[in-house]
Amino acid sequence: MLIEFVLNHHKVGAEAPPDITLLTLLRDHFGLTGTKQGCEIGECGACSVILDDRLVSSCMVLAPQVGGRKVTTIEGIRGPENTPNDLQENFIEYGAVQCGFCIPAMVLAGEALLLRNPQPTRAEIREAISGNLCRCTGYQQIVDAIQATARRRLKKVRVEG
Amino acid sequence: MTKVQSIGKPARRVDALEKVLGTAKYLGDYKLPAMLYARALRSEQPHAKIRSLDVKPALAVPGVQAVVTGDDFVDHGLYGFPTKDKYMLAYQKVRYVGEAIAAVAAETPEAALEGIRAIRCELDPLPLLLDMDHALDPDAPQVGPERGDGQHPNFLDLSKVRLGEPLSILETCAVTLDQEYRTDHQEHAYLETEGALAIPTPEKGILVYCSNQSPFINRGYLAMVLGLPLDQVRVIQPPVGGSFGGKDDLNYETSAQVAALAIKTGRPVQMTFSRDESMVASYKRDAMHMRVRLGADSGGTLRACKFEGTLDSGAYASQSPFTGWRASIHAMGPYRYEACDVDITGVYTNNGFSGAFRGFGNPEVTFAIEQAIDEMADRLGLDPIDFRLKNCLRAGDETPHGQRLTEAVGLTECLKKVRQMSDWVRKRRDFPAQNAASAIRKGIGVAAFFHGLSMGAEGEDSASSTIKIEDTDTITLTSGLTDYGTGSRTVFTLIAAEELGVRPERIQMLRPDTNTSIDSGATVASRSTIVGGNATGAAARSLAQMLDLAAANLFACQPSQLSRDGEAYVGPDEKPVAWEQVVEHARRMGLVLSAQSRWSSPAIHWDSKTGRGMPYIDFHYGAQVVEVAVDMGTGKTDVSGVWAAHDAGKILFPQGAYGQVYGGITQGLGYALLEQVIFDRGYLQATNYDEYLIPTAMDVPDIQAAFIDTHSSIGPFGAKNIGEPALVPAAPAALNAIAHATGKRIRELPANLERVLLGHDLQRPGGTTSCKLGLHIRSIG
Repeated sequence: MLIEFVLNHHKVGAEAPPDITLLTLLRDHFGLTGTKQGCEIGECGACSVILDDRLVSSCMVLAPQVGGRKVTTIEGIRGPENTPNDLQENFIEYGAVQCGFCIPAMVLAGEALLLRNPQPTRAEIREAISGNLCRCTGYQQIVDAIQATARRRLKKVRVEG
Repeated sequence: MTKVQSIGKPARRVDALEKVLGTAKYLGDYKLPAMLYARALRSEQPHAKIRSLDVKPALAVPGVQAVVTGDDFVDHGLYGFPTKDKYMLAYQKVRYVGEAIAAVAAETPEAALEGIRAIRCELDPLPLLLDMDHALDPDAPQVGPERGDGQHPNFLDLSKVRLGEPLSILETCAVTLDQEYRTDHQEHAYLETEGALAIPTPEKGILVYCSNQSPFINRGYLAMVLGLPLDQVRVIQPPVGGSFGGKDDLNYETSAQVAALAIKTGRPVQMTFSRDESMVASYKRDAMHMRVRLGADSGGTLRACKFEGTLDSGAYASQSPFTGWRASIHAMGPYRYEACDVDITGVYTNNGFSGAFRGFGNPEVTFAIEQAIDEMADRLGLDPIDFRLKNCLRAGDETPHGQRLTEAVGLTECLKKVRQMSDWVRKRRDFPAQNAASAIRKGIGVAAFFHGLSMGAEGEDSASSTIKIEDTDTITLTSGLTDYGTGSRTVFTLIAAEELGVRPERIQMLRPDTNTSIDSGATVASRSTIVGGNATGAAARSLAQMLDLAAANLFACQPSQLSRDGEAYVGPDEKPVAWEQVVEHARRMGLVLSAQSRWSSPAIHWDSKTGRGMPYIDFHYGAQVVEVAVDMGTGKTDVSGVWAAHDAGKILFPQGAYGQVYGGITQGLGYALLEQVIFDRGYLQATNYDEYLIPTAMDVPDIQAAFIDTHSSIGPFGAKNIGEPALVPAAPAALNAIAHATGKRIRELPANLERVLLGHDLQRPGGTTSCKLGLHIRSIG
């Protein structure tokens, strides 16, 4: 069937079987391998993407469910000219990356949180990323990176406002 | 004028950018033209004789291109180090659930699965050996291979330490303890599962991409079982999505399977594991049963330790002989004794198989000894930190093994540091009084430890690095050691940058490739910074010497008259000349602008017969304090604070070192409270993250870590190790905190709700076996 949706700010369409997951659609039909497969049962969060404005495990979403909706993957999170955006930059700056396998989804979890809560506490950040497992970092520097980004974005809004 | 300094400064991880952008290509992200998908038939029996194996029906399945069995390998694919007891595909017998028997390559993952289902494999069940404590009974079912030395076939290895006669001293001690402790297996649970991709080369060789820990070991096994010369086998390391010791043996088997299939079909073959397959097939941290006897005088001076442990290696040896040895060396803890005996006995069972996991035997024994030390402090009426400070190793001491500690020993400072950071004295005093009236009881506990640097007396310990200035003036650096998330590529980059006085951004540190980097042994034992770092430093200094010659020639002065201003060279006339100009001058002089160096660990000696010697070149020391809040209504333990102090020598890459501490502690807290590997009659019960629980961001608090500033004369710039040590003391510190909170001690892992609340496990009526396996049910893709 034809699945039409907005993928990383662009209208796209894909001819795909109706029984595949969004994860398979993204990786196999669009070649977007930044979305990782970790467990296939919605537990690890490595396949997280932003659907409209909420974080979802793409292994738990059937591809046709995204018809007419907006999907953002890690490939859609960028600063100008393919540079890292401020959150990605802070992941580097604060040492939040080790093996990196969970990191694209962690960045998206951070973005999804900041969309609805621009001023999160550390506890709120921990809750927001608690569906995303990381076996390397102990999460602390990931929390640092998201918190620093929130603060700088707020400051920027205030200055510009 | 100062030269560029990189060591100990904020630095960017060299592979962070591609990882935050999502462009890093892991094994499963590779898709090649004409690539086939492979899958392994895995045993659904924990112990069985293979009566028949007929793969022909699989070849009749549409899309299936080839099947391989053990017969496709030299000597049936027998491999293993230090004990050669496992096959790349099972031969004659299977010894654990999940053991690979045959592998199929097909046009699609679905066809590969159909092919697996079509294979006719008849297994005759054999009696099961499930209890490590009865592995060496005369009538125990035989799991291990026949051996010619009269030892029980289920006996794997004995590691011992000997100092004096602890049993006779224990009889004269004013205060003694005799207690048993048990640890369970632990699953690595790296987010990226196992996998390999093999590409046949036109020269009839094989190129393998594998998310392994040690590409040169993989190459050696591939050449051996495929009957190829080493130069016809190339292993390239893609980014690895976590390993923690877990991507050795099983991934080498996977590599051999896809390589054999690729050679048979003449096409690229990839195998990636589903999570269930990963958890069922992969080796775990060994489980240990330990008995600890301690004795002290009435003033609180430790006098004797007798430590006996049994290590469940499961169906195969893998790294367990080495794990048992490292466990034996650390079993008595970092303390002084008049007499000390340690015996760690490794045995075979049908409980999966055990191998390397971060800490490598030390977390297991530290769990036991650090609870025993706390229990002794209780009996002596001493504060646990005071008791440890009174008895812990100091510089100049001789360890129970007979090793004189000639390097700095920061353990006293670590204990004092965590005491101060955690507000220990007040909390130890106030919590019991506050708890009396509360349904939530707070407690605080400590654990101290040491961890030998690098491989020690396990074997040859050296590494090689190469460095080269390219025509573009960038610098290419290689090491034969893998960065599977540890940050070693960044550490090597910083070391080379410091030695050369250039910005780290100028350096491109490559991932290992057996054709472009040099065999540096196994990437294990937290040895990268010390051994690989020293090799990198030596190579960089060798290259710097050429540039110094060129600069001196350019300035018409002696190299000793040179100084640096940023990257630039400055001669006696004090005018800086750009680094690129010096490089260009060196080229014109015809100097060789590349170097390679090997660094070998200083000689040490361990006598396994007498249990005496010098096991390691030096030790990491540390202490961690954990604070818990235990809900007495549910048994739920919340970790409300963690403070860690480590003597890791000089810290080269601070963000990376802190990250290792935070991550290691988090894995250690999972080991302490959440993670449970249950083998029910040989069948693994938790096969995915819904049942095997690892800590989430909400299960750990913000951790406060500190490094004690010491200097090792051995490591680069005075650095020691950090990767494994960070995990080691977290579990006993947490369980000591639970004992402080509840007054009840849990001497087994994990301290889950039932054990905290009831003091025992809940009954699990009606076992589940093959239905938990899921290997043939869930598809990959």
